[in-house]
Amino acid sequence: MEPEISNQSLLFLTVFVFIPLSLSYFYQLGLSRNILWSSIRGTLQLFAIGYLLTYLFDLQAGIGIPLMISIMIMVAAFHARLKGRELPNVFWYILAGLVVIEVSVLSMWLLFDMVEFTPSEVIPMSGMVIGNSMIAMGLALERMKNEFKENNGRLLAALSLGAKPNSASKLIVQKTLNAALIPNVDQLKTIGLVQLPGMMTGLILGGVEPVMAIKYQLVISLSIFSSVSLSAMFITLSMYRYFFNEQAQLLETEEEIRNQT
Amino acid sequence: MFRFEGVSYGPLKNLSFSINKKEKVMLFGPSGAGKSTLLFLFNRLHSPSEGQIYLEGQDVADYEVTALRKRVGLVLQEPNLFPGTVLDNIKYGPSIFGEWEDQDAKRLLQYVHLPSSYVNRDAEQLSGGEKQRVSLARTLANSPEILLLDEPTSALDYRTAEEIEDCLEILIEEHKLTMVMVTHNLNQARRLGDRGLFMVNGKIIEDGKISEMLTNPQTNELARFIEE
Ligand SMILES: Nc1ncnc2c1ncn2[C@@H]1O[C@H](COP(=O)(O)OP(=O)(O)O)[C@@H](O)[C@H]1O
Ligand SMILES: [Mg+2]
Repeated sequence: MEPEISNQSLLFLTVFVFIPLSLSYFYQLGLSRNILWSSIRGTLQLFAIGYLLTYLFDLQAGIGIPLMISIMIMVAAFHARLKGRELPNVFWYILAGLVVIEVSVLSMWLLFDMVEFTPSEVIPMSGMVIGNSMIAMGLALERMKNEFKENNGRLLAALSLGAKPNSASKLIVQKTLNAALIPNVDQLKTIGLVQLPGMMTGLILGGVEPVMAIKYQLVISLSIFSSVSLSAMFITLSMYRYFFNEQAQLLETEEEIRNQT
Repeated sequence: MFRFEGVSYGPLKNLSFSINKKEKVMLFGPSGAGKSTLLFLFNRLHSPSEGQIYLEGQDVADYEVTALRKRVGLVLQEPNLFPGTVLDNIKYGPSIFGEWEDQDAKRLLQYVHLPSSYVNRDAEQLSGGEKQRVSLARTLANSPEILLLDEPTSALDYRTAEEIEDCLEILIEEHKLTMVMVTHNLNQARRLGDRGLFMVNGKIIEDGKISEMLTNPQTNELARFIEE
């Protein structure tokens, strides 16, 4: 049976949004606007993407794929940048990181014939790689800022003992990467046991053989795992130095970090 | 040894003074006066926005910053130990300069009156006083010529603070160190120091022999500060 979701049943699903909405209102969580806005925005975005994808899938692969991937990377970079706005050039670092990761992953997929170069395969799978990398970079940036704040005294101690910024920040880099990678590692450990991953669920619902679906899922899970790890490492290792100036002094306020030369 | 000329930075306003070799300077004043900020200028954790700081006649900005910081040791109010063992902490500085040898550990722990069996202890498991001793040993490991201390005992109870003072008193004598110490404990200042700098609102308003300053304050501010 081909699953066919009617518009009425979609409408019915909105009931589920109203439950947290009313709870949030009741407990005065101040999230109501946020939930409402996110739901509406999410829905509209998905429909828009749906139509866009239909259009893109009809385009030649050589045009549709680079076009869509560029858009995804731009949007992802704009979004992840928000977590580290005061860091100089953060947008460009994220953009470069995402481009390199996506190009490498895609080349690997194509080189080993894991994925066919058609929009309907490349775009959703790239979307997962880019989206997860974006989240990892944002998480790493946020975490790194916190670690710098929390470890201010230790950093001063290290610098005052003669450490250069790169060795003084070892501790921070370590903790940041740990925090950014743990959810990812945990997810990989329990994959298929706790929840069937999204893509596999989709494929099975769409009528694909489970074993086939699992193969796809493995390709995507492992690709996501390595791209997420690489993106967190890349952004952490490229940005930590912006918390210091060239005299090996710690920059402590957002202004100092933003206005450094 | 150190000379400040018209130094301004953050809360500090146009400071000029000198510190001689082997002087034991106690820096005190109300909180927010700028004492920590001033201390951090000595080893270039901050750089003045105006004015110059000279170490032995040469602008501190002309020294290689890590070499300068090795000569000018700093102990903070909180021990801020690194994760790992006591040994990991005390070898941190010398390892940067490729000067660490494991047999140094025993001597350093002796300086701060800790048994040498402490080398392999987890730094996080130590008591507050022990942590502060390790922090002091960690700074001494670099064999600094000048020791800066930013209220190193203010987070400790009276007894523990006194034990640390004992260590300091002996160390300063034995190693002929120059010391600049921020403290709000005037008994401590009298015991460890020979010169006092009293600081209010980013300015040094009294400078003299510590015993005379405390018995015969020249300003209302200092008189009030002593009473409190
Ligand atoms: N770079 C700076 N610019 C402006 N104000 C600063 C700067 N650094 C510190 N301050 C302010 O100067 C005051 C004194 O700081 P501090 O040196 O820690 O005083 P103390 O150690 O005497 O208590 C604090 O209120 C702090 O907010
Ligand atoms: Mg202070």
